[in-house]
Amino acid sequence: MEVQRFGVKFFVADPPSVRLHDFIQIFHGWIQKQTVENHLLIDVHNYSHIHNGPGILLVAHEGNFSMDMADGLPGLLYCRKTPTTGTPVDHLETILKSALQACNLLEGEVRFRMDDFLLLANDRLNAPNDDECFSQLKPIVSDALERVFGHTKYTLTRHSENPKERLVVRVAGN
Amino acid sequence: MPTWKEKLSITMEPQLVEEIDAFESQIALRRSGKLDEKIFAETRLRRGVYGQRYDNGHRNDGVRTQELNFSSDLTKGPDTLWDAPGMQRIKIPFGGVTPDQMDTLADLAEEYSDSVLHVTTRQDFQLHYVHIDDTPNLMRRLAAVGITTREACGNSVRNVTACPLAGVCHGEVFDVTPYARATAKFLLGHPDAQGFGRKFKIAFSGCRERACGLVNMHDMGGIAVTRTENGMEKRGFELYVGGGLGAVPHDAKLFEPFLPEEELLPTAQAVARVFARLGEKKNRAAARIKFLVAKLGIEEFRRLVLEERKTMVPDPRWTGYLPEVAEFKENPLKEPVPLNGQRPEGFEKWYSTNVYRQKQAGYAVATITLPLGDLTSSQMRQLADLARSFTGDNVRTTVEQNIVLRWVSEADLPELYRELVRMGLGEPGAGTIVDVTACPGTDTCKLGIASSRGLAAEIRTRLAAKLFTLDEAVKNLHIKISGCFNSCGQHHISDLGFYGTSRTIGNRKVPHFQVVLGGKWEDNAGAYGLAIGTVPSKSIPEVIERITGRYVRDRNGNETFQEFIKRIGKQELRGMLENLMQVPAYEKDRSFYSDWGDPREFTIGDLGMGECAGEVVSAAQFDLADAERLVFEGQLHLDSGDYAQADALAYRAMIQAALSLVKTQFQSVRNDSDTVVSEFRARFYDTNILGDRYAGNKFAQYLFRRHDSPPHEHTLDRARRIVEEAQLFIEAVYACHDSLTERGSAPISIKAVGKP
Repeated sequence: MEVQRFGVKFFVADPPSVRLHDFIQIFHGWIQKQTVENHLLIDVHNYSHIHNGPGILLVAHEGNFSMDMADGLPGLLYCRKTPTTGTPVDHLETILKSALQACNLLEGEVRFRMDDFLLLANDRLNAPNDDECFSQLKPIVSDALERVFGHTKYTLTRHSENPKERLVVRVAGN
Repeated sequence: MPTWKEKLSITMEPQLVEEIDAFESQIALRRSGKLDEKIFAETRLRRGVYGQRYDNGHRNDGVRTQELNFSSDLTKGPDTLWDAPGMQRIKIPFGGVTPDQMDTLADLAEEYSDSVLHVTTRQDFQLHYVHIDDTPNLMRRLAAVGITTREACGNSVRNVTACPLAGVCHGEVFDVTPYARATAKFLLGHPDAQGFGRKFKIAFSGCRERACGLVNMHDMGGIAVTRTENGMEKRGFELYVGGGLGAVPHDAKLFEPFLPEEELLPTAQAVARVFARLGEKKNRAAARIKFLVAKLGIEEFRRLVLEERKTMVPDPRWTGYLPEVAEFKENPLKEPVPLNGQRPEGFEKWYSTNVYRQKQAGYAVATITLPLGDLTSSQMRQLADLARSFTGDNVRTTVEQNIVLRWVSEADLPELYRELVRMGLGEPGAGTIVDVTACPGTDTCKLGIASSRGLAAEIRTRLAAKLFTLDEAVKNLHIKISGCFNSCGQHHISDLGFYGTSRTIGNRKVPHFQVVLGGKWEDNAGAYGLAIGTVPSKSIPEVIERITGRYVRDRNGNETFQEFIKRIGKQELRGMLENLMQVPAYEKDRSFYSDWGDPREFTIGDLGMGECAGEVVSAAQFDLADAERLVFEGQLHLDSGDYAQADALAYRAMIQAALSLVKTQFQSVRNDSDTVVSEFRARFYDTNILGDRYAGNKFAQYLFRRHDSPPHEHTLDRARRIVEEAQLFIEAVYACHDSLTERGSAPISIKAVGKP
């Protein structure tokens, strides 16, 4: 499976605590200091007017970060745009680490759940949302999770079986 | 690894396959430094690939101007970095989209953009933060569902718009949809519409009275009219030309009170030819057709167009579509059933503002109010499914940045509303004062001065809460906001319009908006508003409160807002706003020194060069760039061992280059190779124009030899030679073209047009 465009979303542990507009200032601050490693941070876009939308978006050359509101569940979403090097496991590891870096930067503002999150294959050509692809993706995800989180046990499920949607894996800690 | 190119090539129209492959080659040429950045900029703009704010590599972060250190210094246009995110505009003629197209648009927004689709004030979609390297695949996926991005930007015929109620409106004379579609198709890529100095916008309306297609503000527009001839009703158009907004708005001029339907396309073509020939090319601020019409006067302009019309060789496409017009109809999915049964909470308010009962009894148009014209991929996909369940293919975007579902059986409206609420798209207020229109402004536009979207969001939030308690006269006013004077938010034709500007207070910049009052949305953009004065951005909500409050209190009977503004007069209106024009000192209130939704201290240092007009590139330069692309592709085939294809492409490249020169003298030349070679020989070889200073005649022999003696067998040596010769021939043509341009003889003369 040759997928480069992965995404990951870590849910906020306490959704009512999220004050969406605060992230405008926070993300502008990140740009001022170019805080996120290996990323060229470019701009902030306010999508708070869209119901269950991308919330507040931080645009970077390598990938976008957002305090995302999809499904009404706030969370830090990172979607990779530029290719990374190495194997698919390497790609996923890089992407998980980038998202975790952003989560760490937000410590003090908001807490994230590490026992329940989503991994997105943002590539309908190489990773259509079907059983076959899910089967191919599972070992890649497991290996990447082990590299990032050690020997924690996770259950991997397909988030939706709607073939129009992207292949999204729900990762739940046991 | 599979590719979209392989997967979709059989589902795309062959012409689109070729066009998109060509664009991909042009990307490769630019990447390798073989295509000039100006020509590439206009090339990508004509495919809808636009620059965005900060793509010059600089951005003020509120404290200082940062250099955005992209890894590559390659450019995709003057002062426009390759790796900087850009915008993809997607043309939707008359706003018509199908559910399958909506699904694809949703997928593209997720995979290449930020999962948001933006509806523009001209019925297009826009995706932001797109990387240029993704655009060929994005275009292929669109092409596979019948959408092209061609000529979505640049100096070309832009999206042809039409009233979203066309075909279902009580007041229309007839349905303009098939005419809008035919015009869009006919002019797309038409050779006579390639040499403009600026963009060209066309709109169609079914009636005069409503806002409809906003004909009055378009470069060319048609209003449906009929007349009786020999006892038969005949269709035609009241045709207007030379309208436009921009910094200085122009009312369109009546070109013809009744243009018969069969004359629509040839007249459009003749208008395009006159505009291409006589329109301003160097000064882009005066290059729209409105300036040409104003300069010549409508009578002279009409005379020139009619003269041009007489010279044109008949084209079967002019009338070929008319049989389809008679048969054109939309198929509703459901039977017409009157509204009945239980109505969910909130339905009545939504119904009062968002539902239009069609002229076809039992059917309605439901408007989906999109805040700031935005919706997510997920919402788009769900909306596509709703269309499949309720209306079939009958979906359109609107110039008020909304989406309408047409042919909804009225009995389905409550269930449709429930679904829309579930999706977060059940907001009432379509077409009312809360339905604020705004261009992208400083969010993404390089020309934006102040935050039009930030202001629009603020106004919307404040007014939405009290929409149904507002006085009826105020409720139905329109607010439109542009981030600068260029009017993309259409502020001139709004009751309350605003455009972004800046003022210096102390040593600091403060975002302001010019207040423009009394423009008219109805009557096809019937009147332009009156500029009253410049007010700090943070005081604009109070301006709205004050003006609308006075209107409610002081209007005479049923006096319209336009009449009220006219009666009160500029001086008094300005007096009403005088104290709101003041800016408190920075130390006293810093909020005035930042824009809405943006905590950075305000600056205009991020302003870039606009790409709206594109670069003025002559048709010959385009043709030559295409010749270069062909020879480049020939080289690739040579490298892969396909000598026959290398030879064929190199030959085509030489023909294309020769054609580019011939067309500077004889625009209507046929493009078959025999004619091109013959014309080229007579005009540039026998006359020694090509060979005079550049030994070009030697290179012309390459063309003649290959034309007269095509190879019987294809070998590496022969293919390599023809590719090299083609490159040399193109260089000679370039040199000749440049020389003629310097001498001022390259532009097509009026006498030469259409006359061999």
